[in-house]
Amino acid sequence: MMKSVMEVLLLLMLFFTAHAKEKSYSPPEKTTQTRCRSPEKETFTCWWEPGSDGGLPTTYALYYRKENSETVYECPDYHTAGENSCFFNKNDTSIWVNYNISVVATNALGRAFSDPVDIDVVYIVEPNPPEKLTVVVMEDKGWPFLLVSWEPPHKADTRSGWITLIYELRVRLEEEEDDWEMHHAGQQKMFNIFSLRSGGEYLVEVRCKPDHGFWSEWSSTSYVKVPDFFSALIFLILTWLLHMNSHSLKHCILPPVPGPKIKGFDNKLLKNGNSDEIFSALVVPNFPPASASKYEEMLVEYLEVYVPEEPELMLEESKDLLDGCLKSLNSRSDSDSGRGSCNSHTLLMDKCGETKEEERQTNRESSLMETQGWKEEAINHDTSGKVKTWPSVYSPLPQYGSNPLDKQSSLETAKQHSLSTSSFLIQPGTKDALGPSYTDFCLSNKENHLHPQTLAHRALQTRSDVNISNIGCKRSPATEYVEVQRVNKEDMVLLQPVVSRCGHIEGCPNLPKGEDYSKLKGVDCDNRLLLQREGTGEDVCPCVEQETNREGGNCYTSSTVSTTQKPTACMYTAMPLQEETAVTLNGYVDTATMGNLPSC
Amino acid sequence: MEKVLFAVLTLVYLELSMRVVSAPICSYGQAGCHVPSLADLFERVIQQSSRMHSVSSDLHSEFEQYFFPRKNLIRKRKCHTYDILTPEDKENAQKLGREQLTEVIVRLLQAWGEPLSELYQSMSQDQNQDFNLYSSNKALEISGILHELKDGVTIITEKMKLLGVLSNTVGYNSPESLVPSSAFYTQADLDSMDHHDLLYCFRRDSNKAKNYLRILKCTTLPEPDC
Repeated sequence: MMKSVMEVLLLLMLFFTAHAKEKSYSPPEKTTQTRCRSPEKETFTCWWEPGSDGGLPTTYALYYRKENSETVYECPDYHTAGENSCFFNKNDTSIWVNYNISVVATNALGRAFSDPVDIDVVYIVEPNPPEKLTVVVMEDKGWPFLLVSWEPPHKADTRSGWITLIYELRVRLEEEEDDWEMHHAGQQKMFNIFSLRSGGEYLVEVRCKPDHGFWSEWSSTSYVKVPDFFSALIFLILTWLLHMNSHSLKHCILPPVPGPKIKGFDNKLLKNGNSDEIFSALVVPNFPPASASKYEEMLVEYLEVYVPEEPELMLEESKDLLDGCLKSLNSRSDSDSGRGSCNSHTLLMDKCGETKEEERQTNRESSLMETQGWKEEAINHDTSGKVKTWPSVYSPLPQYGSNPLDKQSSLETAKQHSLSTSSFLIQPGTKDALGPSYTDFCLSNKENHLHPQTLAHRALQTRSDVNISNIGCKRSPATEYVEVQRVNKEDMVLLQPVVSRCGHIEGCPNLPKGEDYSKLKGVDCDNRLLLQREGTGEDVCPCVEQETNREGGNCYTSSTVSTTQKPTACMYTAMPLQEETAVTLNGYVDTATMGNLPSC
Repeated sequence: MEKVLFAVLTLVYLELSMRVVSAPICSYGQAGCHVPSLADLFERVIQQSSRMHSVSSDLHSEFEQYFFPRKNLIRKRKCHTYDILTPEDKENAQKLGREQLTEVIVRLLQAWGEPLSELYQSMSQDQNQDFNLYSSNKALEISGILHELKDGVTIITEKMKLLGVLSNTVGYNSPESLVPSSAFYTQADLDSMDHHDLLYCFRRDSNKAKNYLRILKCTTLPEPDC
């Protein structure tokens, strides 16, 4: 019995001593760090920091007194705000009233009072951070800026004016930590941030404060990336430069194809349609150049006579012929005043002459041989058989160049709408220093006037600077007169110079008495040469007409006919040569009286 | 030389032509004045009340640091304006209505005219304290702002009555004699404690005035962003 009591006592003693060594119980320490905050000036919360609890379970109680009142109240809510806190709701909160708050810690051994704290709710306002922070990259004249906007914390009643908040933002680049740029935004709820780095990624945060209170926590971070406009700017600059220089670049890459152009010729004249102007524009006063070196080149060295297959001669020039034929001939010496010959576009069909040059060469040569009085030394056959031609000077028509092939092809086309006129290409050569003046006779055919049977009459269309008026006594070396001797079986017109005119005709300069020559009075609208028969007084326009009856065959005409010439006013009635009278007339066309070809 | 002269003349001309012309502001719409709107008046008044509160708050905290470095000194103080019934939370303030709110503001402002001038005089007279030397200017500034604020509120009240926003029941018949602050004025000298109490009380009352004016503005001129 005693033994058991002793054992129990020993155990109890051990128990107590053991406990007594490990722990000592004491009354609690007073709490500290009493802190109260109000988020919206309508409620507030106080927190405290408990001290040592003395080893015993300790309870905490908060008591408060309002200003000028002795009533002590206890905290209405210990739980809403968490551990060691006291929450005052709207009913328990008075603004502009001094609260005297203290916290009491109680345990089994005692209690401890904390230091009292005086608070006025209006001065302890610490709002929640602003909400709905948005950051947008905007552009101002090409430079980007950040448009930051936010809203006040939803609990703070700014709408009624109960609470007034001011804001502050901070911005930094993502890679630069702790290098924030602060911006004070006042009471506004949006803000612009300039001077951005292009391509940079920015972080933006905002916080707020009542006009007398504490700053809120920083809001949640907003991330934004500024587009890399610098490279875009460079790209834009390059594009702009490219655009500005696109014209010259285009010229570099795709050089423009030069178009045909006549130096010194105004294309607008063509549009006006006034042939006089065109013609006068075509006249180049100093052409051909009077250099002696070129003389030889330009010298026509041989004579070509081209007789087309179609026998019928048509003197009438038509515009169809013109299309096919190109002629540019020139004579350096114009001893006559017959400017018309020079001014006309294509006086003779060069094409017609040259296409068949290979074929005709032999004919030419033979015909040349037969002619008399030719100054043969001036006639040089080109070894290649090509005709040397003057460079085209007067060319409202397209130039075909000196390529014989071109000429051939163009002649083919010319033949298609060619006249049935046969024309000769005659090129008298002179070795005179006055230079060659030659006449090109172009025979061309007109299909619709084709009369295979008729052979006799050949109309010669010549372009000549030969002063035909100087017939007879005045033997100007620059002038040559030819007359048709005969037409051989090969449809060649054999010419002979008229040498002894004087002998034939009485009153040399006064040709009118001779029956062999007739004066050209003009060209009518149908491109018919109007000849005046002198002497008889009859006025007919013979020979040169297209529908000539060739049977007379004695019509000598050497005329300057321009294929494109606008016929002059016919001073005489043009009569088709089908009439009998016309045929018999032998006459020459006096080109001297032609003068400038007036337009019809 | 001519260019310089030309430049100078141009600048002179520009300066003369771009002179800013200002018109005097008057509240009664006299001829030649620019009459401010109610929003402008409220803006001005709120700015003044905010400034007044700010200065007084600074003064009070400086005073506390200088004279009472220990914090949480509990004092039983009673402001002389305690009997002016003021709403002490948002709901009560909004329940009051414009007329009563305006009256409260006016009463508050009127109650402080005298005490502030007394404070200033007391501070300036007591040259022994270094603090008084420094703070008397601020007291003077506060007093000046209060005076302007009183005038401003009067003008606003008149304008609101004119606009029909405020009924004519709002009067200025509350004489200052009713305010028990006269008890203070009898004292010949206001000691430091009194200064401290005054400053404390005024800080609070200026805050009240500022807040009430804001509420008044936002209820009279409602805006989404008040």
